[in-house]
Formats: sequence, C-alpha cells, structure tokens
Amino acid sequence: MTHPDSGALHQAAAAEATRVPILDLHDVRKRFGGTVALNGVTLSVAPGEVHGLIGENGAGKSTLIKILCGIVKPDSGAIRLSGEAYEPQAPRDAKARGLQVVHQEFNLLPFLSVAENIFIEHLPRNLFGVVKRKDMNVGARSALDAIGLKDIDVSWPVERLGIAHRQLVEVARALMTDSRVLILDEPTATLTSRETDRLFTIINDLRSRGVSVIFVSHHLDEIFRICDRVTVLRNGETVFSRPIGETSHDQLVRAMVGQQLQKEMASEAISSAGKETVLSLVNFRHAQSPHVDGISLDLHKGEILGIAGLVGSGRTELLRAIFAAEQPLSGTRLRNGKPAPFRSPREAIQAGIGFMTEDRKEEGLIMTMPIAANVTLASLSSVSRVGLIDSKLENAMTEQLGADLKLKYGGPSRHAATLSGGNQQKVVLAKWLARNPQVLLLDEPTRGVDVGAKAEIYALIRRLAEKGLALLVVSSELPELMTLCDRIMVMSQHRIVGELARADFSEEKILTYAYQGERRHAGH
Amino acid sequence: MKFFTASILALSLTTVLPMVAFAADKPVVGLVMKSLANDFFKNMLEGAEAHAKKRGDYELKAIGMQNETDFESQLNGVENFITQGVDAIVIAPADSRAMVAPLKKAMDAGITVVNFDVSLDEQAKKDAGIDLAFVGPDNRGGAKMVGQALAKALGEGGKVVILEGNPGADNAAQRKLGFEDAIAAGKLDLLDSRTAHWETEEANSVFSTMLTAHPDIQGVMAANDSMAIGVIKALDAAGRSDIKVVGFDNVSAVAPFLKDGKLLATVDQFGSQMAADAIDKALEVVAGGPKLEGWITTNIELVTKDNVK
Amino acid sequence: MPGMSMKLVLRDAGIGIALLLLIVFFSLSTEHFLTPNNISNILTQITINLILAIGMTFVILIGGIDLSVGSMLAFCAVVAGTVLTIPDFSVFQAVGLATLAALGTGVACGFLNGWISAFWGLPSFIVTLGMLNIARGAALQVTDARTIYSFPPSFNAFGSQMVFGVPVVFLIALALVAVAWFVLSKTVFGRLLYGIGNNEEAVRLAGHSLMFYKVAAFTIAGALVGIAAMVYMARLNIASPIIGIGFELNAIAAVIIGGTSLSGGRGTVIGTLLGACIIGVLANGLILFGLSDFMRQMITGVVIILAVIIDKYRERITAA
Repeated sequence: MTHPDSGALHQAAAAEATRVPILDLHDVRKRFGGTVALNGVTLSVAPGEVHGLIGENGAGKSTLIKILCGIVKPDSGAIRLSGEAYEPQAPRDAKARGLQVVHQEFNLLPFLSVAENIFIEHLPRNLFGVVKRKDMNVGARSALDAIGLKDIDVSWPVERLGIAHRQLVEVARALMTDSRVLILDEPTATLTSRETDRLFTIINDLRSRGVSVIFVSHHLDEIFRICDRVTVLRNGETVFSRPIGETSHDQLVRAMVGQQLQKEMASEAISSAGKETVLSLVNFRHAQSPHVDGISLDLHKGEILGIAGLVGSGRTELLRAIFAAEQPLSGTRLRNGKPAPFRSPREAIQAGIGFMTEDRKEEGLIMTMPIAANVTLASLSSVSRVGLIDSKLENAMTEQLGADLKLKYGGPSRHAATLSGGNQQKVVLAKWLARNPQVLLLDEPTRGVDVGAKAEIYALIRRLAEKGLALLVVSSELPELMTLCDRIMVMSQHRIVGELARADFSEEKILTYAYQGERRHAGH
Repeated sequence: MKFFTASILALSLTTVLPMVAFAADKPVVGLVMKSLANDFFKNMLEGAEAHAKKRGDYELKAIGMQNETDFESQLNGVENFITQGVDAIVIAPADSRAMVAPLKKAMDAGITVVNFDVSLDEQAKKDAGIDLAFVGPDNRGGAKMVGQALAKALGEGGKVVILEGNPGADNAAQRKLGFEDAIAAGKLDLLDSRTAHWETEEANSVFSTMLTAHPDIQGVMAANDSMAIGVIKALDAAGRSDIKVVGFDNVSAVAPFLKDGKLLATVDQFGSQMAADAIDKALEVVAGGPKLEGWITTNIELVTKDNVK
Repeated sequence: MPGMSMKLVLRDAGIGIALLLLIVFFSLSTEHFLTPNNISNILTQITINLILAIGMTFVILIGGIDLSVGSMLAFCAVVAGTVLTIPDFSVFQAVGLATLAALGTGVACGFLNGWISAFWGLPSFIVTLGMLNIARGAALQVTDARTIYSFPPSFNAFGSQMVFGVPVVFLIALALVAVAWFVLSKTVFGRLLYGIGNNEEAVRLAGHSLMFYKVAAFTIAGALVGIAAMVYMARLNIASPIIGIGFELNAIAAVIIGGTSLSGGRGTVIGTLLGACIIGVLANGLILFGLSDFMRQMITGVVIILAVIIDKYRERITAA
C-alpha cells in the first residue's frame, strides 16, 4: 500500500498548531430507552481538516452522525458549529448551517434522472413552477465533472448506475450546496480501489478549499491514507482523538476493542468441540459467489465456528444457502457425513438445522403476533393435534423455553414487538431450540442488543455448545467472534481466505486476512 | 373494475370481429350493438345475422360491448368502421350524447348512419348540426302502455312503486317518464321510485326494503324484466300474492310468470327485428333512396297471460 | 390466536358499537326498521355479500386480494344452473350435483388464482383481474349469454325458507362464519395464514410452504363463491352470466369495514360479519329513511373511508 497523499501528514501537523475548531462537540450523550448510545463524545474538527471517525459496530458512530444532521436530538452536551451553538431540529437546519451528510444508506430516487437527483432539494424552475430542465442538466453536468464523473450522462435514471457511481452521485449532490463540513459515512464500502482513489482526490480538493470532512470508515489503511486526525469511539465514548502521525494501526485496533472485552475473551477458553463432523461443505457455491470452487468447511459437534469478514464478503449468503433459504449453485452439503441436498428451509429444519437471521424484524419474528406464536412457529406440530393448536401446550412450551433463556416478557400472549432487542433475539433462539436442533446457524446474533443481553446470549451460546450443539456464527464484531469461537474462518470476496485456531486469535490477523482478500480482488 | 373489464373485452371485440373479409361488390353495414351479454341484444344480433343471411345482398359486421354503461368500446368501434370505410353504420348508442360526435365524423366521411333502439339526444344533435333519423320503439309509449295495464288492474288510487334502470341511460329515463304518464292518466299514487341498475339481485333487495317501508304497495312497475324477476322473488319470500307487477322487454325467463299471473304484463319491442329493420332502412339510403327523417317507430306489443308464447 | 384475542375483541367491539349506533339511529328515525320482517329482509340481503366476504377475509389476511369473485359467482351460477335444469334428474340429484358443480367451479378458479400468483410470484391483484375477465367470458360462453331459469320449485322454496323469522340462507352464512372463525383462530392452518400476512419470510424460514397456504386461501375463497352462487340461485331462481358485476368491491368493503388490514395479517371473520351487517343495514336503512339513491351511494362511500380512518387511528392506539 502506497501513500500518495502522505503530504496530508505535514498539513495536519501545521493545522494542529493553529486549531480553531469549526465543529466542536463536548460530552454529547444520548439514550434510547434503556440503551445508552452515546456516553460522552468529545471531538473537534478544524477547518480544512479530514477527520477520521472509527469504532466497532455499535460504538455510536451512526448515532453521532444522526445528531449532527438533525435526525436525532442529544440528551445533553454542547455542540458548536463555526463558533455558534448548533442545535439542528431537522436535516434542513443542518444544511442551512453548511453541514452535509452522505449517508451509508442510499437516498437517491432510482427512477429519476441523475440530474433530478442532484437538484432534488432545489429544482431550478420558472415562474410557473415548471422545471428548467436545461439549466438543471447543465448544472448537474458541471457538478459531476467537478468530481471527475465524466462518463455518466446526467439524463440517465439513477437505477442504471452501478452502486459505486450512485455513491459518487450522492457526493456530487452533497457538494451542490456550499458546505463547510461534509460527513462521509463509510463512503468506500461499495467502491473499488480506482473509485476510492477518485473519491480521495475529491476529498483532497475539498481540504484545499477549506472544507472540513468527517470520514467514517472501517478500513484503517484508508484512515492513514487520507485523514489528518482520527477519533476513536467505543461504547458511545471518545477513547482518544489525536493527529494521525501520533498513532499507529495497532493502537487504533486496541482502542476500538477495549481492555475489558479483551479480558473477557481471554477468560473463556474451554472448548467443547468434538471430533465428530456434523456438517460439511464441499465446494459449496452460493448463488452470488463468483468462484467455481466455492467454499469447503467442516463443522464439528459441540463446536462454535466463527465466520469473520467485511460486509459484502458473502457470509450471510453462505448461511442462507446452507439453510436452503436460497438455492446453492453447486457443491455438496453433508449432514453427519451423508449428502443433504435440501430444496427448502423445511428440509433443512427436518435435518436438525436452525437459522437465526441477521434481520430479526424482517425475517425472524412476526412482530405483531404473540410471543408464544413466534416461539412455536417452527414446531407447530408438537403443540397441535390434527391441525388444532393446543394453546395450553403452546404456552407451556413458551414458558419453559422463556425460563431456560431468562426471557423477560409480559406473558406468552404479548406481541413480540413489546420486547427489547435482546429479548426478541432470545425469542428467535427459543423458536429454534424448540426443535432441538443439532446445528444452529447464527447471523449477527447480538445485532442491536445491549451489553447486558449480549453477555447473556454469549453464555447461552456456550451452554448450547457444551450440550453438543454445533454452531456456525457470523458476526461483524470481531471481539464477539474471538470471545465465542473455537475456530474462526475469514471470508473475503466469497472465499475462505484464512482460518485461525483459538490460540492464534487476534483482531489484526483477522483483519489482515479480510483485507488481503479484498486487495487481491481489487488488484484484478 | 367495470371499466377494466369493459375495455379489455371491448378491445377483443373490436379487434377480432371486424376482421371478417369484405365481399367487394356488396355494401357493408357496420352494426354497433350494446351489451351482448344480455338476452335482449343477443336476440337482436341474432335477428340481424339471420336477416343478413336471408337478404344476402350486404355484408354485416357487428360489434358489441361488455355491459350497458361502457360507451368507450362503441366509440372505438365507430372509429374503426370509419377507417374501414363501411357504407352504413347502424347503431344502438350506449350514451345518447357522447355518441353524437363520432357519428358526425362518420356522416362527414360519407357514411349513412341510422340510429336505432335508443334515440340520440335532440339537443346534442342540434348542437352538432346533424340531422339523423331514429328507428326504434317508443320506450315511453311502451312504458305507458304497460303502466296503463297495471292502472287498469288496480283502479284509481292504486299505490305503486317504480324500479328504474341505470340513472343516466336514455331508455331508463324514457321508461320512467312512460310509467309516470300512466300513473297520471290512471290517477295512481306513486309511493317511491328507485334504481336497481337493471339487476335482479339489487331489485330483489331494494324492493323488499321498499315493501317494508310501504306495506300497502299494490303495484310495481319495473323498467326491465330482470328487475321484475327480482321483485317477484321478493313477493314470494314475503308471501304477498296480492301485489301486481309489470315489466318490460319480454325476455324468455318471464314467460312462466306471465302464465301463472305473477307478472301481469310486459312489453315486447321485437328486439330481434329492430336491428334488421334499421339495416333495411340504411340499405335503402345506400341504394340511392331518400334521406331518412324523424322517428320511424318500430312495432311494440303488450304481452300478457293471453298472448304469451 | 392466544392473547391477540383481547385486543381483537376490543377492535371488533368498536365495529360492533358502530353497527349498534346505526341500528339505534334507524330504529328511532324510521318506522319500519326494527320490525321482524325488515330484519329478516336485511339478513337475506347481506347473505351473499357475507359469504363472499368470508372468503375474501382469507385472501386479504395473507396480504392478497381477489377481484374475481363477482365474475366467478356468475360462472359458478351458470354451470350449476345448467346442471340444475337437466330434466332427467330427481330434485335431490339435481341439487346435489349442481352444488358439486358450483363448488368445483369455484374451487378450480380459486385454485388457479392462488397457484398462478404464488408460482410465478405475481401480485394477486393482477392475476385475479385476469380471472375476473376469464370467468365472466366463460360464463357468457357457457350460456351463450342467456339467462337460465325454471329451477325445481323445492330448491326455489329453500331460498326463502325461514326458521323463527331468520332466513335459512343467512344461517348457512352464519355457520360458515363460525367455521371460518374456528379455522382462523384455532388451527395451525389459520395461525400460519396470519403469519404469512404479517411476515412471509419468517414463516418460510420456519420451514413452512408458502405456496400451499397461499393457494389454499384463494381456493377457500373460490369454494365460498360456489356456495354463494347456490344461495343466489335459490333466492332468485335464475342464473345469468351477467350477475355479480361489482360484487367483489362490496365484499372487499365488508372485510375492510370489519377491520381487516388490506396489507394482511390482521383482522377477524367476526369483523367481516359486522362489516357486512353495516353495509346491509346502511343500504336498507337509508331507503327506509327516504334518502335518494345517489345520496345512499355517497354515504356508503363515506362509511368505507371512515372505517379505514378509524382503523388506522385504533392501530396507533393499540400500538402505543
């Protein structure tokens, strides 16, 4: 990795001497119900500074951005923009004060033209409210030219563009209004290295014009390449904020992970993994995989096997294909050594497999139905006779599992929507445990779950493994995988690029594998 | 939903039916019908087809529509006929005003147009500056005729209700006027008048409710026989054999009711002949005969127990 | 549905109160509304719509819609009517076979609706719009657009039979409501219909075949159309290919007024019963009240919109 922008470091040092912050946050706090999202964030951004913001998932980055662009109001703390108090009531206020955000989720309207999307906030129009198409197209053209997107026709509908180009159109849109602070929320997640280079050129240009950029990324090498300064968040708190020249890769990783979790990780190391292979994949290729040779792995009885990898590396797709939620393209799935060509989730379930999806609201729970109905959804035959539901049996099963999982709920008949995130996740777990599975696939098992419930779910997962259940766990939180797993496989670009035994676990090794694959791919 | 049905069916009818090949030497008559999903018009079309076969000196092309209120398919049909250059258009308009403009276009294109069954609106014709003869029954006269049959049976002061056809349909309005003429002439007492949209089930529901509101009803004038059937069923259900019913159209389903007296009378417009009559008139003009004028009434007949077939 | 029941009882109670208010209003403002004869009239008048609406409830609960029930009613009726008028059969044979024919026709059409939309993943709105035309065309084709009449007198008499002033056909509809209620609230089948309406993917990933349940819901709706066709024929003694135009909209209105969510997953057949009653009481009461046909139509429209607004409002309250 070369650093074409290493001049940034010198500029940063110069800026450090004369810092008059354009954006200044002091002890910003925010709770959502019982969950603490921000627990004292302090950071300041100088004019013309590119400021890296990093942290694990759930560290508070998204909440912070939402506060800055006026979607969420902080509970306490002070924010100043250009020296004046800054309390945006709506995204409109943020824009008026010169603060623009390019969001992670796309905010483009797919069926409108590129030009219309760029001008959507203030379409040029004549006296009668008719859009002046020519003016708009000319304006959009120059906006795209300015960021080097010369190969895109402004009259194309956005749906015609690839995902990377859409991201750049969003940047162009944000640049339409004169902004003093531009927040880029994981802008490179969907970009190839060539497009990332282009984006960095744009950022450098902005910096030279005195615009401040807050750059959110998971990719530490990018942070070192473009940023003048970096702030690390952990559990909603600022760990530190320093010039990029005064920190190192290692230091940033340690700061993100935190001492306590590292300790927790070290303390739990008893493996219950057996020799018996309960699930094997041989050249197993899911529908999105570009690789003919697919993926091969073995999962043993009582083992917790983790799958790490960046978003988009194909982890979820792999789990869905194993469960036959989507049909695999090719390869073999073996269950206890015998071929198991499932055609539907139904057959996977009958073969003793359970699947906790990453999106419990959309795929896991029926939010507007009772907890009991959710718990028994996959095992209705055991609580019914000749098609009639025995509600006594159903409630008994719910209460039994609820007690096992320490579920906190108002009663089996309450809707799933009434539960907290952690308890909702327990209901999904209960749904599968009701079937006594031998293999459980877990996709982001603690997403949107608070710290307390997280620990409980970890304990549960370990207990299940001790009882002989084989678990395949996908997670974006490396500490989570390192705490739970007996073994971690790292996926990148739909391949297994590395495997680590527990003794060799380290966040850096995992990340190295994850990026290695990515770089190799980008080099094609 | 009706709109969808109608347009989809209209599309198929207008595209498929006119594809019959022309015999070059014979004059071509385009027949524009109303709903073919109705015994009355079905009979009329069959009458016209038999007539074309019998005469053999002209080519008949017919189009229809899905239900009584859909004039868009008629509009398309007329335009297609103009494009194909037929010699005459014989039409039972679905809307007495909306059809004036396309027919004017046809006349401007030199096509002989004859209007039958339902008369085009006089004012609309005048506004468009066209003079168009009408071949058809006197709906108002027919309704008056059958209404008077009821008046005669009930005597002066008899209490009656009317079941109307579709609001806005010309024949529905004419029949209602005819019923009212008979009520005035026979000095009857009109208790209520409501639409049941020509439909049996709706007539059944609406009439049974009217009967609740006015238990003293003695007679019912239904603007078509389908509604009369619904009324008769309501009377059966209520066990009222004392109330007399008259209908209109003489569809075959009412024959048993006429025989057993549940239906006092209905009116036969000889629908099967009406289209054929209109075609004859149109062909006379096409052959060089004088222009048609005014209202050429067709035969109507009161049908009762005594003359039902 | 355990526990949903309490909230749903409250929801239904809201609709029930609306119905009660209407009844009180018409009883006070018109002379004949609250007479035994008029009540049996109303019950007769809502029967067909109610039977169609029961089937529609199944379809809407899984997030579908069936626009073809009116046309299917005509198709079922003319097929059954053709069988019923075959002269060689005894009354029992004729009625029995006709009922089978009506049910068979309805089941076949409903099955096609469900299978086509589930297999190809098409919106049921489109598929049933197609069926609306297919069934109507088939009905016209079968009969050559002619009305079938002269059914056996005893069959005809059955249509206007009363038990203590309650029409037998309405009792049939009521029995169907009871069966539907039982199926929806007590069986695994019903549970999964609600599940599919709420979160299809969760149900699929829990190992259930969406195809089966979707096809089943439409097939049930088709079977109920068959029953409604027999009731129609018994009541009016005719079977015509042009009956039932627009009936689907009335059935949908009854389901929606009854508090079932158009997006699926929420609602009860008891609500549908009350919804059908509201429509029937309005149609009857407004005539007795002496309102013009046009005003009557407007008020029915207003009630449909009101029902949906109230439902939205109530949803917000129960969600809070």
